[in-house]
Amino acid sequence: MVASGYETLRVERTGPVGWLVFDRPEAANAMDARMMAELERAWRELDADPDVRVVVNTGAGRAFQTGLDLVQLSGDPAALREQARRTRDFALRFTAWHNEVWKPVIAAVNGVCAGGGLHFVADADVVIASSDATFLDPHVSVGQASVYETIALAKKSPMEPVLRMALVGSRERVDAARAYQLGIVSQVVDPPERLRDEAQALAEKIAQHPPDRLAATKRALWNALETP
Amino acid sequence: MSYPELQTLKLERRGPVGWLINNRPERLNAMNALMREEFEVAWKVLDDDPEVRVIVHTGEGRAFQTGVDVNELATDGLGMERYRESVEKWDLHFTSWHNEVWKPVITAVNGLCAGGGFHWVADADIVIAASDAQFFDPHVSVGQVVAIEAIGLMKKMPVEAVMRMAFVGRHERMPAARAYELGMVSQVVDPPERLRDEAQALAEKIARNSPAAMAATKRALWGALETGLTEACRRGARELVSMWGHPDQEEGPRAFAEKREARWQAPSR
Repeated sequence: MVASGYETLRVERTGPVGWLVFDRPEAANAMDARMMAELERAWRELDADPDVRVVVNTGAGRAFQTGLDLVQLSGDPAALREQARRTRDFALRFTAWHNEVWKPVIAAVNGVCAGGGLHFVADADVVIASSDATFLDPHVSVGQASVYETIALAKKSPMEPVLRMALVGSRERVDAARAYQLGIVSQVVDPPERLRDEAQALAEKIAQHPPDRLAATKRALWNALETP
Repeated sequence: MSYPELQTLKLERRGPVGWLINNRPERLNAMNALMREEFEVAWKVLDDDPEVRVIVHTGEGRAFQTGVDVNELATDGLGMERYRESVEKWDLHFTSWHNEVWKPVITAVNGLCAGGGFHWVADADIVIAASDAQFFDPHVSVGQVVAIEAIGLMKKMPVEAVMRMAFVGRHERMPAARAYELGMVSQVVDPPERLRDEAQALAEKIARNSPAAMAATKRALWGALETGLTEACRRGARELVSMWGHPDQEEGPRAFAEKREARWQAPSR
Protein backbone atom coordinates (compact mmCIF):
# COMPACT_ATOMS: atom_id res chain seq x y z
CA MET A 1 0.00 0.00 0.00
CA VAL A 2 1.41 3.35 -1.05
CA ALA A 3 0.02 6.47 0.51
CA SER A 4 -0.60 9.17 -2.04
CA GLY A 5 -0.40 12.92 -1.80
CA TYR A 6 3.32 13.38 -1.16
CA GLU A 7 5.60 15.09 -3.64
CA THR A 8 8.88 15.11 -1.71
CA LEU A 9 8.58 11.98 0.41
CA ARG A 10 7.63 8.40 -0.09
CA VAL A 11 5.50 7.00 2.72
CA GLU A 12 5.07 3.27 2.54
CA ARG A 13 4.36 0.16 4.63
CA THR A 14 6.12 -3.16 4.53
CA GLY A 15 4.60 -5.50 7.06
CA PRO A 16 4.64 -3.79 10.48
CA VAL A 17 7.18 -1.24 9.32
CA GLY A 18 6.35 2.25 8.10
CA TRP A 19 8.88 3.80 5.75
CA LEU A 20 9.45 7.54 5.52
CA VAL A 21 11.80 8.16 2.60
CA PHE A 22 13.21 11.57 1.64
CA ASP A 23 12.57 11.74 -2.09
CA ARG A 24 14.25 14.74 -3.65
CA PRO A 25 17.38 12.94 -4.86
CA GLU A 26 18.05 15.66 -7.46
CA ALA A 27 18.45 18.13 -4.53
CA ALA A 28 20.39 15.72 -2.26
CA ASN A 29 17.09 15.40 -0.35
CA ALA A 30 17.35 18.95 1.01
CA MET A 31 14.21 20.21 2.72
CA ASP A 32 12.24 22.71 0.70
CA ALA A 33 8.99 24.29 1.91
CA ARG A 34 6.95 21.37 0.59
CA MET A 35 9.08 18.75 2.30
CA MET A 36 8.88 20.53 5.62
CA ALA A 37 5.08 20.58 5.42
CA GLU A 38 4.97 16.99 4.24
CA LEU A 39 7.26 15.72 6.98
CA GLU A 40 4.86 16.84 9.68
CA ARG A 41 1.99 15.17 7.86
CA ALA A 42 3.92 11.95 7.24
CA TRP A 43 5.01 11.55 10.86
CA ARG A 44 1.43 12.08 11.99
CA GLU A 45 0.09 9.61 9.44
CA LEU A 46 2.55 6.88 10.41
CA ASP A 47 2.05 7.58 14.10
CA ALA A 48 -1.73 7.30 13.76
CA ASP A 49 -1.65 4.04 11.78
CA PRO A 50 -2.06 1.14 14.23
CA ASP A 51 -0.54 -1.28 11.74
CA VAL A 52 2.74 0.62 11.82
CA ARG A 53 4.82 -0.54 14.81
CA VAL A 54 8.21 0.87 13.87
CA VAL A 55 9.23 3.63 11.46
CA VAL A 56 12.33 3.59 9.26
CA ASN A 57 13.56 6.93 7.89
CA THR A 58 15.95 6.91 4.94
CA GLY A 59 16.69 8.77 1.70
CA ALA A 60 16.40 8.07 -2.01
CA GLY A 61 19.51 8.42 -4.12
CA ARG A 62 23.04 9.21 -2.99
CA ALA A 63 22.27 11.48 -0.04
CA PHE A 64 20.41 10.82 3.18
CA GLN A 65 19.50 14.42 3.98
CA THR A 66 21.38 17.70 3.58
CA GLY A 67 19.32 20.21 5.56
CA LEU A 68 17.36 23.21 4.43
CA ASP A 69 17.13 23.93 0.72
CA LEU A 70 18.15 27.57 0.98
CA VAL A 71 17.95 28.09 -2.78
CA GLN A 72 14.27 27.19 -2.83
CA LEU A 73 13.51 29.00 0.42
CA SER A 74 15.22 32.21 -0.68
CA GLY A 75 12.73 32.38 -3.57
CA ASP A 76 9.75 31.74 -1.31
CA PRO A 77 9.59 34.60 1.22
CA ALA A 78 6.44 33.37 2.95
CA ALA A 79 7.95 29.92 3.56
CA LEU A 80 11.21 31.47 4.69
CA ARG A 81 9.38 33.68 7.19
CA GLU A 82 7.42 30.74 8.53
CA GLN A 83 10.60 28.66 8.83
CA ALA A 84 12.34 31.56 10.58
CA ARG A 85 9.51 31.81 13.07
CA ARG A 86 9.56 28.10 13.80
CA THR A 87 13.31 28.11 14.19
CA ARG A 88 13.30 31.11 16.51
CA ASP A 89 10.49 29.67 18.64
CA PHE A 90 11.95 26.16 18.54
CA ALA A 91 8.66 25.02 17.00
CA LEU A 92 10.18 22.77 14.33
CA ARG A 93 8.18 19.83 12.97
CA PHE A 94 10.75 17.96 10.86
CA THR A 95 11.57 14.99 13.01
CA ALA A 96 9.84 12.27 14.99
CA TRP A 97 10.95 13.95 18.22
CA HIS A 98 9.54 17.33 17.10
CA ASN A 99 6.25 15.59 16.32
CA GLU A 100 6.19 13.54 19.53
CA VAL A 101 6.12 10.21 17.77
CA TRP A 102 6.52 7.56 20.48
CA LYS A 103 6.89 4.63 18.13
CA PRO A 104 10.46 3.43 17.67
CA VAL A 105 12.20 5.28 14.83
CA ILE A 106 15.23 3.94 12.98
CA ALA A 107 17.26 6.33 10.85
CA ALA A 108 18.97 4.42 8.04
CA VAL A 109 21.64 6.77 6.73
CA ASN A 110 22.19 5.88 3.08
CA GLY A 111 24.81 8.47 2.08
CA VAL A 112 25.85 11.96 2.99
CA CYS A 113 24.15 13.47 6.03
CA ALA A 114 24.98 17.16 6.24
CA GLY A 115 23.98 20.09 8.45
CA GLY A 116 20.25 20.01 9.13
CA GLY A 117 20.28 16.36 8.05
CA LEU A 118 21.79 15.68 11.45
CA HIS A 119 18.37 16.47 12.99
CA PHE A 120 17.18 13.09 11.78
CA VAL A 121 20.18 11.28 13.24
CA ALA A 122 20.04 13.09 16.57
CA ASP A 123 16.28 12.66 16.94
CA ALA A 124 16.02 8.99 15.95
CA ASP A 125 16.07 6.20 18.52
CA VAL A 126 18.28 3.85 16.54
CA VAL A 127 20.67 4.85 13.76
CA ILE A 128 22.26 2.54 11.24
CA ALA A 129 24.35 3.57 8.26
CA SER A 130 25.61 2.21 4.98
CA SER A 131 29.36 1.74 4.90
CA ASP A 132 29.71 4.71 2.52
CA ALA A 133 27.67 7.12 4.65
CA THR A 134 29.36 10.32 5.83
CA PHE A 135 28.47 12.99 8.35
CA LEU A 136 29.40 16.66 8.35
CA ASP A 137 28.09 19.95 9.66
CA PRO A 138 28.89 22.86 7.30
CA HIS A 139 26.90 25.53 9.18
CA VAL A 140 29.84 27.63 10.41
CA SER A 141 31.47 27.50 6.96
CA VAL A 142 28.52 29.42 5.51
CA GLY A 143 28.09 31.85 8.41
CA GLN A 144 25.44 29.95 10.37
CA ALA A 145 25.46 28.67 13.93
CA SER A 146 25.00 24.95 14.53
CA VAL A 147 22.62 24.49 17.43
CA TYR A 148 19.68 22.09 17.67
CA GLU A 149 21.15 19.14 15.83
CA THR A 150 24.50 19.23 17.56
CA ILE A 151 23.00 19.87 21.00
CA ALA A 152 20.96 16.68 20.69
CA LEU A 153 23.93 14.74 19.32
CA ALA A 154 26.13 15.97 22.16
CA LYS A 155 23.53 14.73 24.66
CA LYS A 156 23.65 11.25 23.12
CA SER A 157 27.25 10.62 22.16
CA PRO A 158 30.73 11.79 23.20
CA MET A 159 30.81 15.55 22.92
CA GLU A 160 34.31 16.27 21.68
CA PRO A 161 33.73 14.72 18.24
CA VAL A 162 30.46 16.66 17.98
CA LEU A 163 32.19 19.94 18.84
CA ARG A 164 34.88 19.12 16.30
CA MET A 165 32.29 18.44 13.59
CA ALA A 166 30.46 21.68 14.42
CA LEU A 167 33.61 23.84 14.44
CA VAL A 168 35.45 22.28 11.49
CA GLY A 169 32.43 22.81 9.27
CA SER A 170 32.59 21.71 5.66
CA ARG A 171 36.28 20.79 5.73
CA GLU A 172 36.08 17.36 7.30
CA ARG A 173 33.70 14.42 7.34
CA VAL A 174 33.06 11.70 9.88
CA ASP A 175 32.81 8.34 8.13
CA ALA A 176 30.44 5.53 9.04
CA ALA A 177 33.14 3.47 10.75
CA ARG A 178 34.05 6.34 13.10
CA ALA A 179 30.37 7.08 13.75
CA TYR A 180 30.03 3.44 14.78
CA GLN A 181 33.02 3.64 17.17
CA LEU A 182 31.56 6.74 18.77
CA GLY A 183 28.14 5.19 19.23
CA ILE A 184 26.44 7.70 16.93
CA VAL A 185 25.32 4.68 14.92
CA SER A 186 24.97 1.09 16.11
CA GLN A 187 25.36 -0.79 12.84
CA VAL A 188 27.27 -0.28 9.60
CA VAL A 189 25.87 -2.14 6.61
CA ASP A 190 28.22 -3.40 3.95
CA PRO A 191 27.69 -3.58 1.04
CA PRO A 192 25.68 -0.32 1.14
CA GLU A 193 22.98 -1.79 -1.12
CA ARG A 194 21.87 -3.98 1.78
CA LEU A 195 20.94 -1.02 3.99
CA ARG A 196 17.19 -1.15 3.46
CA ASP A 197 17.04 -4.92 3.90
CA GLU A 198 18.95 -4.67 7.17
CA ALA A 199 16.78 -1.78 8.35
CA GLN A 200 13.64 -3.78 7.60
CA ALA A 201 15.03 -6.82 9.44
CA LEU A 202 15.97 -4.72 12.48
CA ALA A 203 12.59 -2.98 12.48
CA GLU A 204 10.81 -6.35 12.36
CA LYS A 205 12.75 -7.52 15.42
CA ILE A 206 11.67 -4.41 17.31
CA ALA A 207 8.11 -4.72 16.02
CA GLN A 208 7.70 -8.05 17.84
CA HIS A 209 7.45 -6.19 21.14
CA PRO A 210 4.29 -4.76 22.70
CA PRO A 211 3.72 -1.26 21.28
CA ASP A 212 2.69 0.23 24.62
CA ARG A 213 5.89 -1.01 26.30
CA LEU A 214 7.99 0.35 23.47
CA ALA A 215 6.28 3.73 23.72
CA ALA A 216 6.61 3.87 27.51
CA THR A 217 10.28 2.96 27.26
CA LYS A 218 10.88 5.57 24.61
CA ARG A 219 9.19 8.27 26.70
CA ALA A 220 11.17 7.35 29.79
CA LEU A 221 14.51 7.39 28.00
CA TRP A 222 13.98 10.62 26.06
CA ASN A 223 12.65 12.31 29.20
CA ALA A 224 15.92 11.40 30.90
CA LEU A 225 17.63 13.79 28.50
CA GLU A 226 15.56 16.63 29.92
CA THR A 227 17.62 16.93 33.08
CA PRO A 228 21.24 18.18 32.97
CA MET B 1 49.89 42.86 18.59
CA SER B 2 52.85 41.93 20.77
CA TYR B 3 52.38 39.43 23.52
CA PRO B 4 53.69 39.83 27.06
CA GLU B 5 56.67 37.77 28.22
CA LEU B 6 55.46 35.16 30.66
CA GLN B 7 57.68 32.96 32.81
CA THR B 8 55.71 29.73 32.78
CA LEU B 9 53.86 29.92 29.47
CA LYS B 10 54.75 30.84 25.92
CA LEU B 11 52.41 32.79 23.66
CA GLU B 12 52.84 32.86 19.91
CA ARG B 13 50.78 33.55 16.84
CA ARG B 14 51.23 31.59 13.62
CA GLY B 15 48.91 32.99 10.98
CA PRO B 16 45.38 32.92 12.38
CA VAL B 17 46.34 30.52 15.16
CA GLY B 18 47.25 31.59 18.68
CA TRP B 19 49.50 29.15 20.54
CA LEU B 20 49.52 28.77 24.31
CA ILE B 21 52.39 26.52 25.39
CA ASN B 22 52.94 25.22 28.90
CA ASN B 23 56.58 25.99 29.55
CA ARG B 24 57.86 24.38 32.72
CA PRO B 25 59.22 21.22 31.09
CA GLU B 26 61.65 20.57 33.98
CA ARG B 27 58.55 20.25 36.23
CA LEU B 28 56.50 18.29 33.67
CA ASN B 29 54.52 21.52 33.20
CA ALA B 30 53.01 21.30 36.68
CA MET B 31 51.07 24.40 37.64
CA ASN B 32 52.59 26.53 40.38
CA ALA B 33 50.94 29.65 41.73
CA LEU B 34 52.61 31.83 39.11
CA MET B 35 51.46 29.65 36.24
CA ARG B 36 47.95 29.73 37.59
CA GLU B 37 48.02 33.53 37.44
CA GLU B 38 49.68 33.60 34.04
CA PHE B 39 47.02 31.35 32.49
CA GLU B 40 44.41 34.04 33.10
CA VAL B 41 46.61 36.61 31.38
CA ALA B 42 47.37 34.26 28.49
CA TRP B 43 43.75 33.39 27.69
CA LYS B 44 42.79 37.05 27.81
CA VAL B 45 45.64 38.10 25.51
CA LEU B 46 44.77 35.47 22.89
CA ASP B 47 41.05 36.10 23.18
CA ASP B 48 41.57 39.86 22.75
CA ASP B 49 43.81 39.53 19.67
CA PRO B 50 41.50 39.89 16.64
CA GLU B 51 44.11 38.18 14.44
CA VAL B 52 43.70 35.00 16.47
CA ARG B 53 40.79 32.94 15.16
CA VAL B 54 41.60 29.62 16.83
CA ILE B 55 43.73 28.76 19.89
CA VAL B 56 45.96 25.70 20.26
CA HIS B 57 47.15 24.70 23.73
CA THR B 58 50.06 22.29 24.17
CA GLY B 59 53.13 21.70 26.32
CA GLU B 60 56.92 21.79 26.06
CA GLY B 61 58.88 18.64 26.77
CA ARG B 62 57.62 15.16 27.51
CA ALA B 63 54.51 16.18 29.45
CA PHE B 64 51.45 18.14 28.44
CA GLN B 65 50.46 19.03 31.98
CA THR B 66 50.61 17.19 35.28
CA GLY B 67 48.33 19.21 37.53
CA VAL B 68 49.30 21.30 40.48
CA ASP B 69 52.98 21.61 41.42
CA VAL B 70 53.20 19.32 44.44
CA ASN B 71 56.77 20.42 45.18
CA GLU B 72 55.57 23.94 45.71
CA LEU B 73 52.63 22.70 47.78
CA ALA B 74 55.01 20.72 50.02
CA THR B 75 57.52 23.50 50.53
CA ASP B 76 55.84 26.91 50.46
CA GLY B 77 54.17 26.57 53.84
CA LEU B 78 50.75 27.28 52.33
CA GLY B 79 49.94 24.08 50.43
CA MET B 80 46.46 23.86 48.98
CA GLU B 81 45.27 26.50 51.48
CA ARG B 82 46.59 29.07 49.01
CA TYR B 83 43.79 28.04 46.65
CA ARG B 84 40.97 27.45 49.15
CA GLU B 85 39.15 30.71 48.59
CA SER B 86 39.15 30.57 44.79
CA VAL B 87 37.94 26.97 44.75
CA GLU B 88 35.25 27.51 47.37
CA LYS B 89 34.00 30.58 45.51
CA TRP B 90 34.29 28.76 42.19
CA ASP B 91 36.46 31.62 40.96
CA LEU B 92 38.92 29.77 38.73
CA HIS B 93 40.64 31.30 35.72
CA PHE B 94 43.11 28.79 34.33
CA THR B 95 41.15 27.22 31.44
CA SER B 96 39.44 28.75 28.42
CA TRP B 97 36.06 27.70 29.81
CA HIS B 98 36.76 29.42 33.14
CA ASN B 99 37.62 32.57 31.19
CA GLU B 100 34.65 32.38 28.79
CA VAL B 101 36.79 32.23 25.69
CA TRP B 102 34.39 31.68 22.78
CA LYS B 103 37.03 31.19 20.13
CA PRO B 104 37.60 27.52 19.24
CA VAL B 105 40.23 25.92 21.50
CA ILE B 106 42.21 22.84 20.51
CA THR B 107 44.18 21.02 23.18
CA ALA B 108 47.12 19.10 21.67
CA VAL B 109 48.25 16.57 24.27
CA ASN B 110 51.95 16.03 23.69
CA GLY B 111 52.82 13.49 26.35
CA LEU B 112 51.78 12.87 29.92
CA CYS B 113 48.49 14.34 30.98
CA ALA B 114 47.95 13.67 34.67
CA GLY B 115 45.53 14.81 37.37
CA GLY B 116 44.81 18.51 37.02
CA GLY B 117 46.03 18.28 33.44
CA PHE B 118 42.56 16.97 32.64
CA HIS B 119 41.17 20.47 33.20
CA TRP B 120 42.43 21.41 29.73
CA VAL B 121 41.15 18.21 28.16
CA ALA B 122 37.70 18.61 29.68
CA ASP B 123 37.46 22.33 28.95
CA ALA B 124 38.75 22.37 25.34
CA ASP B 125 36.45 22.10 22.36
CA ILE B 126 38.68 19.75 20.43
CA VAL B 127 41.41 17.45 21.76
CA ILE B 128 44.06 15.73 19.71
CA ALA B 129 46.93 13.68 21.09
CA ALA B 130 50.36 12.43 20.11
CA SER B 131 50.41 8.64 19.75
CA ASP B 132 52.61 8.38 22.85
CA ALA B 133 50.35 10.54 25.02
CA GLN B 134 49.17 8.93 28.25
CA PHE B 135 46.37 9.90 30.60
CA PHE B 136 45.99 9.15 34.29
CA ASP B 137 44.56 10.76 37.38
CA PRO B 138 46.70 10.25 40.51
CA HIS B 139 44.67 12.45 42.88
CA VAL B 140 43.48 9.66 45.16
CA SER B 141 46.94 8.10 45.18
CA VAL B 142 48.32 11.22 46.87
CA GLY B 143 45.44 11.74 49.27
CA GLN B 144 43.54 14.25 47.17
CA VAL B 145 39.99 14.31 45.87
CA VAL B 146 39.36 14.66 42.17
CA ALA B 147 36.16 16.48 41.29
CA ILE B 148 36.07 19.39 38.88
CA GLU B 149 38.05 18.04 35.95
CA ALA B 150 36.52 14.55 36.18
CA ILE B 151 33.01 16.04 36.30
CA GLY B 152 33.76 18.02 33.16
CA LEU B 153 34.98 14.88 31.42
CA MET B 154 31.97 12.82 32.53
CA LYS B 155 29.64 15.28 30.85
CA LYS B 156 31.45 14.78 27.57
CA MET B 157 32.33 11.08 27.33
CA PRO B 158 31.45 7.65 28.69
CA VAL B 159 31.35 7.89 32.48
CA GLU B 160 32.79 4.50 33.37
CA ALA B 161 36.15 5.28 31.83
CA VAL B 162 36.38 8.49 33.87
CA MET B 163 35.42 6.77 37.12
CA ARG B 164 38.02 4.08 36.54
CA MET B 165 40.75 6.67 36.10
CA ALA B 166 39.56 8.53 39.18
CA PHE B 167 39.68 5.42 41.38
CA VAL B 168 42.67 3.57 39.96
CA GLY B 169 44.81 6.66 40.42
CA ARG B 170 48.45 6.38 39.51
CA HIS B 171 48.41 2.63 39.06
CA GLU B 172 47.23 2.62 35.47
CA ARG B 173 47.56 4.83 32.40
CA MET B 174 45.20 5.25 29.47
CA PRO B 175 46.97 5.29 26.11
CA ALA B 176 46.06 7.74 23.34
CA ALA B 177 44.48 4.95 21.27
CA ARG B 178 41.93 4.23 24.02
CA ALA B 179 41.18 7.94 24.44
CA TYR B 180 40.41 8.00 20.72
CA GLU B 181 38.07 5.00 20.95
CA LEU B 182 36.17 6.68 23.77
CA GLY B 183 35.72 9.98 21.93
CA MET B 184 37.85 11.83 24.49
CA VAL B 185 40.17 12.81 21.64
CA SER B 186 39.29 12.97 17.96
CA GLN B 187 42.71 12.44 16.42
CA VAL B 188 45.89 10.57 17.30
CA VAL B 189 49.03 11.88 15.62
CA ASP B 190 51.79 9.47 14.69
CA PRO B 191 54.68 9.97 14.73
CA PRO B 192 54.32 12.13 17.84
CA GLU B 193 56.72 14.73 16.43
CA ARG B 194 54.03 15.75 13.96
CA LEU B 195 51.60 16.83 16.67
CA ARG B 196 52.15 20.57 16.36
CA ASP B 197 52.02 20.50 12.56
CA GLU B 198 48.74 18.60 12.66
CA ALA B 199 47.33 20.94 15.29
CA GLN B 200 48.26 23.96 13.18
CA ALA B 201 46.68 22.37 10.07
CA LEU B 202 43.46 21.57 11.93
CA ALA B 203 43.35 25.06 13.42
CA GLU B 204 43.82 26.63 9.99
CA LYS B 205 40.87 24.65 8.63
CA ILE B 206 38.73 25.91 11.49
CA ALA B 207 40.02 29.47 11.05
CA ARG B 208 38.37 29.56 7.62
CA ASN B 209 34.92 29.45 9.25
CA SER B 210 32.86 32.38 10.48
CA PRO B 211 34.19 33.53 13.89
CA ALA B 212 30.76 34.81 14.93
CA ALA B 213 29.01 31.59 13.91
CA MET B 214 31.59 29.50 15.74
CA ALA B 215 31.25 31.57 18.90
CA ALA B 216 27.46 31.22 18.78
CA THR B 217 27.75 27.46 18.20
CA LYS B 218 30.22 27.11 21.03
CA ARG B 219 27.99 29.00 23.46
CA ALA B 220 24.99 26.87 22.48
CA LEU B 221 26.82 23.56 22.86
CA TRP B 222 28.56 24.38 26.14
CA GLY B 223 25.30 25.86 27.40
CA ALA B 224 23.64 22.54 26.65
CA LEU B 225 25.74 20.89 29.35
CA GLU B 226 24.02 23.10 31.91
CA THR B 227 20.49 21.94 31.22
CA GLY B 228 18.16 19.36 29.63
CA LEU B 229 17.58 18.80 25.94
CA THR B 230 14.50 20.91 25.28
CA GLU B 231 15.64 23.78 27.48
CA ALA B 232 19.08 23.66 25.83
CA CYS B 233 17.42 23.99 22.42
CA ARG B 234 15.29 26.89 23.61
CA ARG B 235 18.35 28.68 24.96
CA GLY B 236 20.29 27.71 21.85
CA ALA B 237 17.65 29.43 19.72
CA ARG B 238 19.01 32.75 20.93
CA GLU B 239 22.46 31.85 19.61
CA LEU B 240 21.00 30.66 16.31
CA VAL B 241 18.99 33.83 15.83
CA SER B 242 21.99 35.98 16.78
CA MET B 243 23.44 35.21 13.34
CA TRP B 244 20.36 36.40 11.46
CA GLY B 245 21.16 39.73 9.86
CA HIS B 246 24.84 39.31 10.72
CA PRO B 247 27.07 40.15 7.72
CA ASP B 248 28.64 36.66 7.83
CA GLN B 249 25.29 35.08 7.11
CA GLU B 250 25.18 36.93 3.78
CA GLU B 251 28.86 36.53 3.08
CA GLY B 252 28.95 32.74 3.53
CA PRO B 253 26.57 31.78 0.70
CA ARG B 254 27.95 34.58 -1.53
CA ALA B 255 31.54 33.35 -1.15
CA PHE B 256 30.37 29.79 -1.79
CA ALA B 257 28.54 30.81 -4.97
CA GLU B 258 31.53 32.84 -6.16
CA LYS B 259 33.94 30.01 -5.29
CA ARG B 260 36.19 32.21 -3.20
CA GLU B 261 37.33 32.37 0.42
CA ALA B 262 34.79 34.10 2.66
CA ARG B 263 35.69 37.44 4.22
CA TRP B 264 34.27 37.18 7.70
CA GLN B 265 33.83 39.86 10.32
CA ALA B 266 36.74 39.84 12.78
CA PRO B 267 35.97 38.15 16.08
CA SER B 268 34.83 40.41 18.87
CA ARG B 269 34.67 39.79 22.59
